[in-house]
Amino acid sequence: MSGYPPVSPPPELPEEFRFLCMLHNVGATRAERGLTVEEIAKWTNKELSELQEYLVKLQKLGYIQSFNKEGFDRYYVSVTGIRKVLTLYS
Amino acid sequence: MKICLLSWEFPPRIVGGIARHVLGLAKALARERHNVCVVTLDFPGLPDYEEVEGIAVYRTKTEVGHPNFLTWSFLFNHFLEKQLAEANKKFDFDIIHIHDWLVAPSGIGFKHFLDKPLVCTMHSTEHGRTGLHNPDSYMIDGMEWWACYEAMRIIVTSNSMKGEVCGHFQVSSDKVDVIPNAIEAMKYEVQTDRWGVKRRFGVGDHEKLVLYVGRLVPQKGVEYLIRAVPRISRRLPEAKFVIVGEGWMRQHLEWLADQTGQRWRVRFTGFISDEELVALTKSADVMVVPSVYEPFGIVALEAMAAGVPIVASRVGGLAEVIEHDKTGVYIYPRSLDSVAWGVERVLSDPGYRDWIVKNALEAVKNRFSWQTVARQTIDVYKRVLGKG
Repeated sequence: MSGYPPVSPPPELPEEFRFLCMLHNVGATRAERGLTVEEIAKWTNKELSELQEYLVKLQKLGYIQSFNKEGFDRYYVSVTGIRKVLTLYS
Repeated sequence: MKICLLSWEFPPRIVGGIARHVLGLAKALARERHNVCVVTLDFPGLPDYEEVEGIAVYRTKTEVGHPNFLTWSFLFNHFLEKQLAEANKKFDFDIIHIHDWLVAPSGIGFKHFLDKPLVCTMHSTEHGRTGLHNPDSYMIDGMEWWACYEAMRIIVTSNSMKGEVCGHFQVSSDKVDVIPNAIEAMKYEVQTDRWGVKRRFGVGDHEKLVLYVGRLVPQKGVEYLIRAVPRISRRLPEAKFVIVGEGWMRQHLEWLADQTGQRWRVRFTGFISDEELVALTKSADVMVVPSVYEPFGIVALEAMAAGVPIVASRVGGLAEVIEHDKTGVYIYPRSLDSVAWGVERVLSDPGYRDWIVKNALEAVKNRFSWQTVARQTIDVYKRVLGKG
């Protein structure tokens, strides 16, 4: 390796980032507006398995937070996640 | 004068330069004894209404959402419009001033419903940001044209943006005023434990801190700085790189940093607080602004005010902010060699560095104050109201 990174093609918007934007745009940006996985699936028209994968990854990165209410996990975009989403639109 | 500033971002809802611009302008207008109201979108943990340094701030909740960004933007405009109507009952605004296309629908609606004059600041264009490449970007481009058409006057922050707006949207140059961005230079007049800050960000006492601050998106050109890391560190083995900001490209940029084989030199901080940013900026040895598109480049002014030498691409507004070899160093955009050359030019000659910093500080204090911006903006409002 020459020590110079290769010229890479422009990256595509990562799918999990698109998903984060969707969650933000539907209004799940605070605990009281948190959504269950089933509700998110309806809003985003995505498979539950795909959603679970995104949610785990985004939660690990700190862009999503969750809490349990009446036996159901509810998810919403964290402040860091909101800022992340907004970088796309400005 | 009773002024309404309409913006989708306002601190702490900070995306790019617009939030800082609207805050700086609002505070300066309030200091000039105008009644200033900011209508913006909500942010977790903040009240729907508060007064911030003499500014009335309404934060609007969007009660209905949609996964599609453009649909969502029209929905939040509906709620902004409702909020505007409420605020107008109290203030009876003389003028409404919108910032960028995102709030154009509510601003334009307000203009027509209440027969109020509309001023629009175009901070950037979709054409310049990403190029027109899909139906959404064509629509945003259309919205920007519409905002320019409906506004009685358009404000831009640089001559470069004036050329872009007039050329792309076929707007008469008579309708466009250039009022540059500004900064609060006072913010940087604080004591900083430079070595302590550097150590906190993984930079040793004998090492040089090369700083980037901005969104991690293609137009900022940060990938050219990261790809230049091996070239810079070959000439300056003591260089360390701190990348501040967030963006959808972060994962890719971290991968790119891995590919340099010198990942240990590069630190990504994500979003940091304003206080931390001031301390970090003041502690940097050089700031690099490698943008490929930059309508103004407020971050360059911040570095200049902080006493940090600036190395910046000669593009857009940056070409009007910096004087090469006097208040900063210009580099060619998208050129790794040029980035490496610029950083070395500044870091290898302390006398040159001090000369650049001294000139830059004077330039910032003389040319880029919010008070000047507020007075120029008031002149625009007076013209619109037929009082100028």
